[in-house]
Amino acid sequence: MKSTFIYSYLTILSILVFACDAKLDLEPAQSISQSIALSTDENVQAVLNGAYDELGNFGLFGGVVPYSSELLAGDGEMIWAGFANPDSEIFLKQINTGNLRVRGIWQIAYRTINIANNILDAIEVVKEADRARVQGEALFIRAITYFELVRLFAKSYQAETTNRQLGVPLLLQPTKDSKEEVFVARSTVEEVYLQVLSDLQQAEQLLPLQNDWRASSYAASALLARVFIQMQDFEQALTKTERVIQSDQFQLLSDYADVFNREVNSTEDIFAIQNTVQDGSNSLNFIFATPEFNGLGSVEVLQQGHLDLYDPTDLRLKLFYPLRTASDTAWYCGKWNLQSGNIGLIRLSELLLVRAECNMRLNSEVGEAPLVDLNRIRSRAGLADKTQFNLEDILLERRLELAFEGQKLHDHKRLKKEVGRFEYDAPELILPIPQREIDLNPMLVQNEGY
Amino acid sequence: MNRLWTTREVEPNGPTILFNTQSLLDLRLIICVLGILLVIPSLAQRSVSGLVTNPIGEPLIGATITLKDGETGTLTDENGYYQLAIGRADSVLVFSFMGFKTKEIYLSSASQYDVSLEETISTLSEVVVTGYGSQIRSTLTGNIARVTGAALKSKPVSTIEQALQGQSAGVLIQGLTGKPNGIMRILIRGSSSISAGNQPLFVIDGIPLDNARANLSGAQLSPLADLNFNDVASVEILKDASAAAIYGSRASNGVVLISTKSGLRKDTKVELDYQWGLSSPTNKREFLNAAEYQELFLESARNLDEVQGNSSSGFNWLSWMERRFDRHAGPSDWRTGEADTNWQDLAFSERSPMQQASLSIAGGSDKTRFYSSLGFTDHVGILISNRFQRKSGRLNIDHEASKNLSIGVKMSLAHTFTHQVSNDGQFENPMQLVAQMPITPDRNYSGVVFQSGPNTIQPGELIDTPTAAYYNNLIEGEDSRKAVSGFRSLASTQLTYRPLKGLSLHGELAVDLLHRREDGFYGSRTRNGQAINGLGFALTGQRLNYNTKLYGDYQTISTTGHRITLTAGLEFQASRDDRSEVIGQDFPLDALRTLASAADISFGSSSISESSFLSYFTRLNYNYQQRYLLTLSSRIDGSSKFGQAKRYGWFPAASLGWVVSRESFLSNSRILSFMKLRASYGLTGNAFITNFRSLGLYAAESYNNESGLQPTQLANPDLSWESTLQWNLGLHFGLFDDRLSGEIDVYNRDTRDLLLNVQLPYTSGFSSQLRNIGRMENKGIELVVYLQNLVGEFSWKTSLNMAWNRNEVKALANEGDIVDPNFLNAVKVGHPLGVFYGVEYAGVDPANGDALFYLNQEGQERATTNDFNQANFTVIGNPHPDWFGGITNTFQWKGLSLDLNLQVVFGHEIHNYAGQWMSCQACWLDNQTKDQLDRWQKPGDQTVVPKAILFGGNGDQWRSSRYLSDGSYLRLKTLSLAYDWPATLLRKIKIKSLRLYLSGQNLWTLTNYDGWDPEVSTDVWTNNVNVGSDFYSVPQAKTIVFGVKVGF
Repeated sequence: MKSTFIYSYLTILSILVFACDAKLDLEPAQSISQSIALSTDENVQAVLNGAYDELGNFGLFGGVVPYSSELLAGDGEMIWAGFANPDSEIFLKQINTGNLRVRGIWQIAYRTINIANNILDAIEVVKEADRARVQGEALFIRAITYFELVRLFAKSYQAETTNRQLGVPLLLQPTKDSKEEVFVARSTVEEVYLQVLSDLQQAEQLLPLQNDWRASSYAASALLARVFIQMQDFEQALTKTERVIQSDQFQLLSDYADVFNREVNSTEDIFAIQNTVQDGSNSLNFIFATPEFNGLGSVEVLQQGHLDLYDPTDLRLKLFYPLRTASDTAWYCGKWNLQSGNIGLIRLSELLLVRAECNMRLNSEVGEAPLVDLNRIRSRAGLADKTQFNLEDILLERRLELAFEGQKLHDHKRLKKEVGRFEYDAPELILPIPQREIDLNPMLVQNEGY
Repeated sequence: MNRLWTTREVEPNGPTILFNTQSLLDLRLIICVLGILLVIPSLAQRSVSGLVTNPIGEPLIGATITLKDGETGTLTDENGYYQLAIGRADSVLVFSFMGFKTKEIYLSSASQYDVSLEETISTLSEVVVTGYGSQIRSTLTGNIARVTGAALKSKPVSTIEQALQGQSAGVLIQGLTGKPNGIMRILIRGSSSISAGNQPLFVIDGIPLDNARANLSGAQLSPLADLNFNDVASVEILKDASAAAIYGSRASNGVVLISTKSGLRKDTKVELDYQWGLSSPTNKREFLNAAEYQELFLESARNLDEVQGNSSSGFNWLSWMERRFDRHAGPSDWRTGEADTNWQDLAFSERSPMQQASLSIAGGSDKTRFYSSLGFTDHVGILISNRFQRKSGRLNIDHEASKNLSIGVKMSLAHTFTHQVSNDGQFENPMQLVAQMPITPDRNYSGVVFQSGPNTIQPGELIDTPTAAYYNNLIEGEDSRKAVSGFRSLASTQLTYRPLKGLSLHGELAVDLLHRREDGFYGSRTRNGQAINGLGFALTGQRLNYNTKLYGDYQTISTTGHRITLTAGLEFQASRDDRSEVIGQDFPLDALRTLASAADISFGSSSISESSFLSYFTRLNYNYQQRYLLTLSSRIDGSSKFGQAKRYGWFPAASLGWVVSRESFLSNSRILSFMKLRASYGLTGNAFITNFRSLGLYAAESYNNESGLQPTQLANPDLSWESTLQWNLGLHFGLFDDRLSGEIDVYNRDTRDLLLNVQLPYTSGFSSQLRNIGRMENKGIELVVYLQNLVGEFSWKTSLNMAWNRNEVKALANEGDIVDPNFLNAVKVGHPLGVFYGVEYAGVDPANGDALFYLNQEGQERATTNDFNQANFTVIGNPHPDWFGGITNTFQWKGLSLDLNLQVVFGHEIHNYAGQWMSCQACWLDNQTKDQLDRWQKPGDQTVVPKAILFGGNGDQWRSSRYLSDGSYLRLKTLSLAYDWPATLLRKIKIKSLRLYLSGQNLWTLTNYDGWDPEVSTDVWTNNVNVGSDFYSVPQAKTIVFGVKVGF
């Protein structure tokens, strides 16, 4: 009896102990290895969704990229009325090289680029029917990311020059291990723009005309129009704009307010970051919306500086709401009140205004006369048609139509307009290369003024 | 053979970890032989036997039993038993043991002789648990600190870590914040790792715990809070390589062995202990009142207008500020000073009750011993809505099935409940209330309905944003619930079989099962729930950690005094974590708080994570006449955590001891009663990393509700252990008949192949990769002194421990120092880990009120600038104390006893990370600390607080030494006054003992730190580098309890 007990106890223990060297081979349950992730059509397409997810990260197009442009160029129209943090540094243009938002943009942008590069590297795995689309989407994602990086971290593009000013590092191959090739120097602004153009032109060819919420061929054209106008290449911008508008796939909504705070794209959206209750993030909501809408209400829109620019009957004023307490009234922008709302990156009204601006500048009437496009935008806002107008009117309309959507800094730069007391090319209006990167990568050169 | 038995390469420069197939096979062979020995029948002999114990009934291991006239002798086994063959002529047995008085027993016809030996030197004769065995302190060659259960019992604290504070040399235990069961930082001989864990391995009754984070929501909780420390018999802390190497790959940070109580072969003893008391914060900070606030902030706005040249007719900040005052004063009038709210007071619950009750029943017969207990703890935190409760039960049974077979079972079950608060620095943490303006009333006291933005506030209701400047998180107390409840069971069975004299075989099978459930609800008035009609979550986590081991030991002694103990065995441990979580929103009513009522389930997930260890260990103890001592030990560990090619490691250690006082030339010394020299050298490892770090991984992410994959980790197939090579020299002494005794140790710990998150440029698409690179060193001195100042009717004992430790980072990856702009702490070669690295603040320019900084540029170090970006970063402080220790004084007179335990920690700095908001001379609307009134106002003002300018930029940059201060402190950790009723009186009422006591914790603190409490390191960051910051951290609790303990 006793020995039976001892032996059975010891036998059980021995089995448990001796049978276990194989038990050191454990596999994670929530992750798969990198070779498997890029080995099948299905997986590569899943990685593509992962790239979109990163693109929509709150530190990138999920908010910080658009709002950095608005904060940096916000002088006169808004004030940062939140506690001191990386965002207020951006507004005050006293950006520390360690600024977390700036670092975040850099980090997430290159994460996104690396995912896109991985997809492009494994493109042969994708089944033929989907290959062109997947390749086009990856190229689109890479291009839009590089475009924002070069606009935020480098001196602005100067038309009719060689643009030898430093751009950002161009990485076009995926990182498979941590060897030397990750230490890359900055390419010139020209090189980055050329890469963006080449990626987008390829994408425009590869992508289908309709692609649900994903990047379509028209999204690539619309983005090309934006790139060209930044390069002051108005002919090309006009051509690309025209392609999108003529497709008749996109229509202005009748109510301006419907453009915002929605979880699904409208007919006006050409490309938007998708958010739902379950998925996504929206840092525009965090800084713009008041606590009632889950934000911090850190951006106060100034009555004199911004709201007074509108005609009092302008329906777009509905997107600004007062917060009245006792005798105080502060105004906030209501375009991002839905926390789970999409973040529109390109929509039709921008293209109509681009067409108007290009036609105006080129003294042409491609597609439509500038005044017609301008009045289309105005009438949607409940305003009377203009008869007399000039370029300034179009640009003002653009500011009002696209207010706080991330265009302001870049418009000032291409129009060479000062921001408050800063010249358009002031070093303060360019983000610093994150100090961490300068420390880690000896090939990098810091921007002027930091 | 199995493919895992591969040869480990010998690295040219690293520690020579030789490891080959053959040695493993040999080990297996030994174990098989041990197994075969089982079948050899033991030879029956005519003998005497019995148990040898110390005066309190603890068994003595390795005591010598000889026949006075004969040649033969034996030793007691690990349970204190002996068996000795005797001849007819033998008449006297001699029991001897170092540290005890020798005793002679005259033999009669009986066959059993249980003997209790009297101690000569108390610390020398204690039995020390060493891991897979135990030893008498005087024969130890390694460094092991021991805290007895008596020193922990009845302390008015919640967790065992708190009870252990200040008790052992070189063991720094500090609360991060004052949450009753918050995690604590435990560093044994400094921090030995940068990216892997630096907390010791905890082993409870032989079960190594999995140290992964247990709860997910809110502040991180202590992993040991499930343990009722009143059940603990002793805590042994293995500090040097010799002591710890038997735990091999997880021993680099030291090992803490916790043993729970066993029953004694005595009458059943029932003990009931109950205490009740109150807690309050140790300290409060001073903030501005309403009048001071107005004065400073209007000035700050005016100064900004001056800088920007704003006129009073156009937009100006002064009128903006006045409009803001209108807004934030809400229903009150700030101009008349109607509201003057002390928000800090609202964050604390000033007199929080705490109570503890424990009932233990212990006893036993010759064959069976048992210890059982029930415990209850209820500790209301000093922060509102924070509470910890524990209910626990334990049953430990030891049974002797026969003379050579004993079995044991230890089982415990605990239920804990925590009403959580968030990490420091979150908007919902009550400490954040101090940021609110004093002109804002906390509630609507106006008597009429008040409209605050979109919210209608009824009289008496809490006032929130937009009237309050920040979220009025008092709403959390009324409209949220954050509960963590857990069940934890530690259960083990042990079997010991002694087939032959001197040989015992042990088998153990143990399970540590942890189940946690976290329920959260944020109602429609809370910040998290207001835009979405309430937010709720439910998380469950289950951790199953099982452990099996099989080992044997063989003890033999020759008649000439050579004594050998050989231990060898193997162990397997596997741990599996299962988690699931669901988040939902849109609740119809705040009264319906479970997810069943959520209209929208916004998130759901489940996950599994596993790890395993396979280990072989062996140890040899040798001594000659208890004079020359030798210990050799080694362990081979394999772990799933590392790369296929490098998953096995070998951790050997050796140590020597020489008891000089037993040499003839010293044995007659009157002054020196004991002296031992010891030296040890060995290698230990660190495997405290998260699972699967060697693999290149993609993880699931979804976008727009479609599934996706993203790369999360770069592969490193070469990932292996971090190892620490440590030497230790020690002197153990006793003077004047041991009235004064102590130990002095000097050590050096050299950690190489650091598990380091090597930073990669973000352009790679990754931020870091875990690699084995870099070196770090800790060196130090430890001193332990026991003094019996007075003996006799009035006795006074002092015990003192003191340690000095210096940490230095010796080498990092090629890219060099790690400076993260999120933190003031940096990792720099040649400096201690996590030094504060920033700009050196130089005070204020009396001419214009500008903040000044030292340039710290070569050649002009002391030149100053008012441009923060011009000044160079430099090392401005060290978060690690140079010296720390504790002094305990015990006074006894008749039934009265007084215990005073002082804790001292000094030579380090604390960074007030919240200074950038609370002490920035009105840079934004946060209320300011009172010292900001000292700001510069006019030319010639001599002050360290710059000119107040709204939106700051004038000296409020947080990465400067302005917010650093000396963190040294001396603290009366525990004060306890007790009275034991005389036994003669009690006998009449049939009570064995009765003790009444008054006990206090953290009653008094001496410090220069100007924050809440110097025992702080914000729980937002719990890694090894970012330590020593105060971030609206809850101060420690000051507790006074009254207790009564009755024994039957």
